[in-house]
Amino acid sequence: MPDRFVYVTYIRTTPEKLWDALLDPEFNKLYWFGAAMHSEWKQGAPWKIVLADGRTADSGEILEIEKPKRIVIKWRNEFMPELKAEGWSRCTMELEAGADSVKLTVTHEIDKPGSKLIEAVSGGWPKILSGLKSLLETGKPLGDLAPVRADAG
Amino acid sequence: MTDRFVYVTYIRTTPEKLWDALREPEFTRAYWFGSWQESGWKKGSSWKLLGRDGNPSASGEIVEIEKPKRLVMKWRGEKSPEQQAEGYSTCAYDIQALAGGNVRLIVTHEIDRPNSAVIRAVSGGWPMVLSNLKTMLEGGEIPVTDRMSACSPKQAGEAVRA
Repeated sequence: MPDRFVYVTYIRTTPEKLWDALLDPEFNKLYWFGAAMHSEWKQGAPWKIVLADGRTADSGEILEIEKPKRIVIKWRNEFMPELKAEGWSRCTMELEAGADSVKLTVTHEIDKPGSKLIEAVSGGWPKILSGLKSLLETGKPLGDLAPVRADAG
Repeated sequence: MTDRFVYVTYIRTTPEKLWDALREPEFTRAYWFGSWQESGWKKGSSWKLLGRDGNPSASGEIVEIEKPKRLVMKWRGEKSPEQQAEGYSTCAYDIQALAGGNVRLIVTHEIDRPNSAVIRAVSGGWPMVLSNLKTMLEGGEIPVTDRMSACSPKQAGEAVRA
């Protein structure tokens, strides 16, 4: 039984601008907590996410790419042994143009139940995609998303 | 077995502004495709979600309310006999203040049965409604035409059913 995370967000932008925001590593860093995706963005090309400190967080390859509509990435975590042991997941990003917004659907799935990787990305994607929406709509990233400490009032 | 939809979004706003936006009818109409809610907003108060034609899309009551942190309502879909027959689902909003002037909103909509028509409908509607809400709270405009029609006629239909 597969395990799957799906997130849909509507962003007031164009498919072309959203496509560039997803693929440009310098833009990635603004909403992905300093991390960035690196790839030549062709079918079969290697793909990786590099953290702000230079470590590789995830790696894989481009399975499908159709500008500015759809990217499918073969995705394995590289820096947490428990997640790496789960092997390959698949992440699909789909863009659908509306009247003046774009529907972005991110589907991240793996062919096993109770996946720790899917649990981890289920926490990460809403932060990343909320920040992406804010940045594209207002020009400003969201910034700090840590909980306010109780003793800080 | 439970059917459940969960949506998490991070918004640049305060818990108080988000709390008001979730309840205030004029603000709600602007991001919820013309829909608004009627309630006394106390534990046990009746609650209704009205479509822009004034007909109820959902009805129920307030189960928990703790300003500006948590709001839980019993929610029965009224848009079709199939939804009505499923009885009450539960919708919970949880709001947490974050560093950096941001807020985390979690919407958990669940029902105590598998393959629910209500959960299917709201799974399409919530991402549209909450995307609009985030845009408005962060200072963006929802064009008047778009307040009614969502992104496309098909998607608007899903929003109204939700």
